[in-house]
Amino acid sequence: MASAAPSKEDLKRRVFQEIDDRADEIVSLAKTILQNPEPGFRETKTAALVASTFAQMGVPFKAGLAVTGVRADLIGGSAGPALAIMGELDSLIVNQHPHADPNTGAAHACGHHCQVAMMLGAAMALMQPDVLSSLSGRLVFMAVPAEEYIEIEYRDGLRRKGNIEFLGGKPEMVRIGEFDDVDLAMMMHTTSNRDDKDICVGGTNNGTVAKRIQFIGRGAHAGGSPHLGINALNAATLALTAIHFNRETFRDEDSIRVHPIMTKGGEAVSAVPADVRMETFVRGRSIEAIIEANKKVDRAVKAGALAVGAGVNIQTIPGYLPLRQDNNMSQVFEANAVEMVGRDKVGHASHRGGSTDMGDISHLMPAIHPYVGGASGLGHGADYVVEDYGLAVVTAAKALAATAVDLLADGASEGGRVISGHRPEMTSGEYLKFMRGLASEENFRSESILC
Amino acid sequence: MLTKAELKQRACQTIDGKKKDLIAVAQDILAHPETGFNETRTASLVARKFDEMGIKHRSGLAITGVKGAIDCGGPGPSVALLGELDSLTVEQHPHADPETGAAHACGHNCQIGMMLGAVAGLQTPEVLAQLSGRIVPFAVPAEEFVDVERRLQLREEGKLEFLGGKQELIRLGEFDDVDMAMMCHTASDMGDRQFAVGGASNGHMVKYVRFIGRGAHAGGAPHLGINALNAATFALQAINANRETHQEHETVRIHGIVTKGGEAVSAVPADVRLEWRVRSATPEAVVKNGEVVDRCFKAGALAVGASVEISNIPGYHPIRHNPGLQELFRRNSVDLLGERQTMVIPTRRNRGGSTDMGDLSRIIPACHPYTAGAAGPGHSKDYVITDYEAAVVNPAKIMAMVAIDLLSEGAAAAKQIIASHRPDVTKQNYLRFQRERAQVIRFDGGA
Repeated sequence: MASAAPSKEDLKRRVFQEIDDRADEIVSLAKTILQNPEPGFRETKTAALVASTFAQMGVPFKAGLAVTGVRADLIGGSAGPALAIMGELDSLIVNQHPHADPNTGAAHACGHHCQVAMMLGAAMALMQPDVLSSLSGRLVFMAVPAEEYIEIEYRDGLRRKGNIEFLGGKPEMVRIGEFDDVDLAMMMHTTSNRDDKDICVGGTNNGTVAKRIQFIGRGAHAGGSPHLGINALNAATLALTAIHFNRETFRDEDSIRVHPIMTKGGEAVSAVPADVRMETFVRGRSIEAIIEANKKVDRAVKAGALAVGAGVNIQTIPGYLPLRQDNNMSQVFEANAVEMVGRDKVGHASHRGGSTDMGDISHLMPAIHPYVGGASGLGHGADYVVEDYGLAVVTAAKALAATAVDLLADGASEGGRVISGHRPEMTSGEYLKFMRGLASEENFRSESILC
Repeated sequence: MLTKAELKQRACQTIDGKKKDLIAVAQDILAHPETGFNETRTASLVARKFDEMGIKHRSGLAITGVKGAIDCGGPGPSVALLGELDSLTVEQHPHADPETGAAHACGHNCQIGMMLGAVAGLQTPEVLAQLSGRIVPFAVPAEEFVDVERRLQLREEGKLEFLGGKQELIRLGEFDDVDMAMMCHTASDMGDRQFAVGGASNGHMVKYVRFIGRGAHAGGAPHLGINALNAATFALQAINANRETHQEHETVRIHGIVTKGGEAVSAVPADVRLEWRVRSATPEAVVKNGEVVDRCFKAGALAVGASVEISNIPGYHPIRHNPGLQELFRRNSVDLLGERQTMVIPTRRNRGGSTDMGDLSRIIPACHPYTAGAAGPGHSKDYVITDYEAAVVNPAKIMAMVAIDLLSEGAAAAKQIIASHRPDVTKQNYLRFQRERAQVIRFDGGA
């Protein structure tokens, strides 16, 4: 006689027990990654740690996905949907961060090291045979590369070499088909914002496009013959000014963010700068708003070139789509969060100006991206550190695992309800077509306007 | 027969005798300033003085110009003595018209006084009898290139083609019967010198610029607006960023004012207007540097997606003083005031400003020396005449003396200058060059 299937509460108790028993091991994974920070598409040590952990757990995995991604699937006791639980492998570059790599400046100033640990912790708990057999469907544990959209020049080099097509980890994982067999996706991110409380659900994020801009002037002796030069640095600074002149036209409800940096500002102070380069994002709350603001940025950049008679090469690179979290899936997660930290410690997010490639996934399938506390300092700043690993890793792992139980136990009835209640914005084919359509490269010459 | 020196002495005596009256004319005009093409009262005053002096004249030339003619004892060339009628607009000037803000902050009031004085000296019967040719006292309008929008309106109405007084008089043929021209300008930057000849001036062109945006509630719907004021301020920054490419020998001066900066602070500015000026040492450099400025205005429109309309208005040409005339001015200044008081400014020294005497100097022999007597920066509220003897009487005498040199002895000196003069351009080529500069450029930065 088969015994009655364990209840969700029973399964969660088993899961929590396992995570508590292995808490030190899970937290030490986070701290190991903290000490070995690697920016996107360079996360070889971090990926190797994930791979060796899967190997120790006896779970088959695939590595080298989108350069450094690692994926392990656990099959439930019966058929059902596939739920991805993700952790991001990459660090930022923040030279002054206390845990920065002294050689590269790489530093986990956004808490991704906790994500990988909580994902592995959830896997350890959910792979227990009596738990896994009670779930219907598949659990897909993914360590994904390159969420931080940085080092654009380096990544564009990888693109030109054919190693990647998109410059973010998850879009690249979509391109190579790693999400084709996934129906639901979730991950958690650490937060230092006190308003987020211990766990924060819901909310939206800006989407973005990235731009590489190169002003092409004409070098000349800056003292001897400035009249023969064309000052690309003046073109660039005027372009920044032109962008600012457009800010008053950005609508509050679009949350537009345009924030360039200059990556090359001239060759030598004694020569009229002939090659000046910038990178920028153009972020906004909707795809339409991003496209509209991006047009204004392009026009402003051209105005900078025209002002001094320079040329400009404007490369627009698809970035991330705005995040839209699935409401039903959020509610399933929130119930577990309340169970774990109490109702008054659960916050509700509104809109965040930053961007995440979880936004892209959220256009393809039901997805959530809740936040867990335990960090302090300013995100992406030198003072962003995780102080409460119990919350940031252990509790987070439990919340993810408990949500997985809710979605896939009982014949995955909740998971099925979430999926049937969700209208994806795009298919992955449509997504790839759209992203490729965003990519553009334009060579503007002042002469084109002078005739 | 009197010697030249005796003729000059008689003329100077006459001028000294009328000194109070000449200064009174200058001060009367000072007290009643009128900007270019508006100089009706000043022109009437000149006409009345011409009447009193028995000088036949025509009025209303290029709207307000008054041109006299005095035939000498015998036939010969025609020598014009010019005085400029117009004032500037400098509201804070102590002698500003409280209603219009017009003010003589450039000393033109003295020019009319000195012109009348020189002519009075030459009218001395025994002097006039020994001269050959014709003396043309000419009160000319609108040397200051200001009020562009209003003058464009006059152009629309068909009352003008060019916006500067002498330019317009050239077009009308009022210099066709003039063989050479002279005038004298007050200056405040001569140190302890009394009189100066030489130097150079810039050519220029004028741009009347309209940025057209789209109005919208500046609080409620700024995203629906296109800010023409942002377009204009961007253009000004762009212009400034190009200054490092200016070459010193071109004496580039690019400057302007905003004549309309928006409608109401609560609306996104949709109509912003500028008057801009591009000056350089040669007409070709004016054209070249003007094209850079046009590009900057287009960049301003492009920066915010506005459109821009640039009306290019032909401005003045750089002056070239006729060497023969200049030498006569120098010598007579030395005779009257002394060597030490007479300054010769090197030709390479460009004063930066512009005058339509430059246009005339490209066609006929002309000279435009400077006389002391003013203080304070030109065109500012502080520019006042502090010494009317230096500002009116001395130049009246020197111009009379130069005219005597030119037209005595059968006008031999004048004929020599005419014979050796090689004009830069003919009147026809001048007019063609100017008309080619007059064009309207339209650019839509939102297209």
